Amino acid sequence: MESDPILNLLHSNVTSPLNASEETGEAPVVQIQELSKVYQQGEISIYALNRISLNIAQGEFLTLMGPSGSGKSTLLHIIAGIDRPSSGQCRVQGIDVTKLSESELADWRNQNVGFVFQTFNLLPVLTAFENVELPLLLTRLTSKQRKKQVLTALELVGLADRMGHLPRQLSGGQEQRVAIARALVTDPQLIVADEPTGNLDSNSAHEVLDILQSLCKVAAKTVIVVTHDPKAAAFGSRSVHLEKGELAN
Amino acid sequence: MSIGGFILRNAIRNKRRAFLSVLSVAVSLFLFVTLLVGLRELTQPPHDTGSAARIVVRNKISLGNLLPSRQKATIEKMPGVEAITPFTWFGGKFRGEEVLFGQFAVDPKVLLKVFAEARMTFEQFEAFEKDPTACIVGIKTCEKYGLKIGDFIKLQGTFWPLDLNLKLVGIYKGSIDDRNLFFNHRQLDEMPGSTGEVGTWWVKAKTLDAVAPLVQEINAAFSNTTAAVRAETEQAFQLSFISMWGNIKMLVLSICSVVVFTLVLVCASTMSMAIRERFRELAILKALGFRRRELFAFILAESFGLAATGALIGVGGASFLFNQTEIVVNASQNFLIAFEMTPRIMGQACVVAAILGIVSSIGPSLSVARMSVVQGLKTLD
Ligand SMILES: Nc1ncnc2c1ncn2[C@@H]1O[C@H](COP(=O)(O)OP(=O)(O)OP(=O)(O)O)[C@@H](O)[C@H]1O
Ligand SMILES: [Mg+2]
Repeated sequence: MESDPILNLLHSNVTSPLNASEETGEAPVVQIQELSKVYQQGEISIYALNRISLNIAQGEFLTLMGPSGSGKSTLLHIIAGIDRPSSGQCRVQGIDVTKLSESELADWRNQNVGFVFQTFNLLPVLTAFENVELPLLLTRLTSKQRKKQVLTALELVGLADRMGHLPRQLSGGQEQRVAIARALVTDPQLIVADEPTGNLDSNSAHEVLDILQSLCKVAAKTVIVVTHDPKAAAFGSRSVHLEKGELAN
Repeated sequence: MSIGGFILRNAIRNKRRAFLSVLSVAVSLFLFVTLLVGLRELTQPPHDTGSAARIVVRNKISLGNLLPSRQKATIEKMPGVEAITPFTWFGGKFRGEEVLFGQFAVDPKVLLKVFAEARMTFEQFEAFEKDPTACIVGIKTCEKYGLKIGDFIKLQGTFWPLDLNLKLVGIYKGSIDDRNLFFNHRQLDEMPGSTGEVGTWWVKAKTLDAVAPLVQEINAAFSNTTAAVRAETEQAFQLSFISMWGNIKMLVLSICSVVVFTLVLVCASTMSMAIRERFRELAILKALGFRRRELFAFILAESFGLAATGALIGVGGASFLFNQTEIVVNASQNFLIAFEMTPRIMGQACVVAAILGIVSSIGPSLSVARMSVVQGLKTLD
């Protein structure tokens, strides 16, 4: 990772010239073609995803909606490189992630994807600071450089003063903000979130969505959020509906 | 935060479990090395050439049956014999109580030849030879009872109908067991009503090669007499004492293997519990970009750390207890002589600990390798 992270830019509140609408001319960050995921249950094939094709541009805030079991999480997992499709292509920044080996994929995730989960998933034995630092342990950064970057990320989510706290000493909303800091500390292009506000009250949910939105607007990150909540979807720049593994229009 | 710190933090996250599992490793390894040290102490016969060239001749029926003195002349004439001394257990009470040091009647003239490794001044040997009421005592017993040259030692016979009053003329050291008391066999021979019988004959062979044929020859020479004998090397003789308690070596070794086996089970189940509890977190680490081999390294480091800490406490503690203090030897009232932890035993314990660390990380590593991120994220805490 380069020494001067885009986070600094973010932190200083300089508005990026980039935004989603101006991006449409360029190649999309995520290109999905004919993507299917089939689960075989004895004789029956369950199509979690059925020949999905979808493009997502840089700086987009895409919300994935749809009823339970429609394949939202499955799609998100494949884009983020933690699940593999049964067939089809999924290119992220030109790389077909479905073709990478296990360890290549791990490296790729570390550098290109930030994860936010519904249940926060911070490691309970680590402080907020250490949780955010975790993905950086895989980089070549010195501990000084790591510290700088972790602090920037925590400041961005407004929790620099809580960096010494353990997850159990934080509220749910704060935990989720720490998780966001962890997701963006490696400065990835793509941030994926599976129902990030599902366990939060509306105020905290608002804060979290605000931060995610500003990441798109200010730093031209591509954010994909799975949500059930139409209010959450309103933060997005585009919403895609899934229905039984297929895109619904 | 360093990777090492992260591993440590995880390892001690459940303090009680970490404590208990380290303790169980420590206690088991302590038991393991204690058994090995004990086994070595009991079965390790003296390994110097002196003892290898010594043959013990006893009554074939039992040690309690004595041998006639006329056998000496027969054995003495056999080729390959350097010296022969009677060696008769007296087993008297000293200062009114039973004592642990052996008291043996011997032939002072040949004692030095048979037990060449014992160190004593020439003058003291001479005094022992000259005075039939003299005795010599190993340095350990002298220290224990505060005996010095010139003291008189009264032994009250229990097995023999005779009380002895012996003058201490020599203190020896450097033998395998510096506790015994030796006195002149004439004391027994000249006892009223004595038939001149002896407990055992100790024969020193001229060379190591002469030992085996000599054993055969002695056994054959008396096989058809009223006092058939059993001759064997000193080593075999010492070991036969131990075999009186059954095959103790087998017993100890099987206890050791049960200890090790249980230990492996305990560690493996502790580790797989510790990892299973953390499946979801390991899935998150995977999602964040940690690869399988890094997760393996975490698991291995943790279980290795567990085993190593246990080993450090258990083996280190045993080593300190056995080698730096005299607690065990004293507690056994000097029945045990050295009870010493050798580098070899320490090495064996460390190998066991290392195997423990590796074996108990295999199961968890395999399940973590098989786990997909999505699957892992779905497991509940
Ligand atoms: N391991 C599996 N084996 C079989 N079927 C599976 C498996 N995982 C998911 N599915 C099926 O795939 C479909 C899509 O699942 P997915 O988790 O993507 O739904 P979702 O849209 O995220 O639902 P929710 O809103 O409830 O989270 C479902 O019908 C589910 O039953
Ligand atoms: Mg879902």
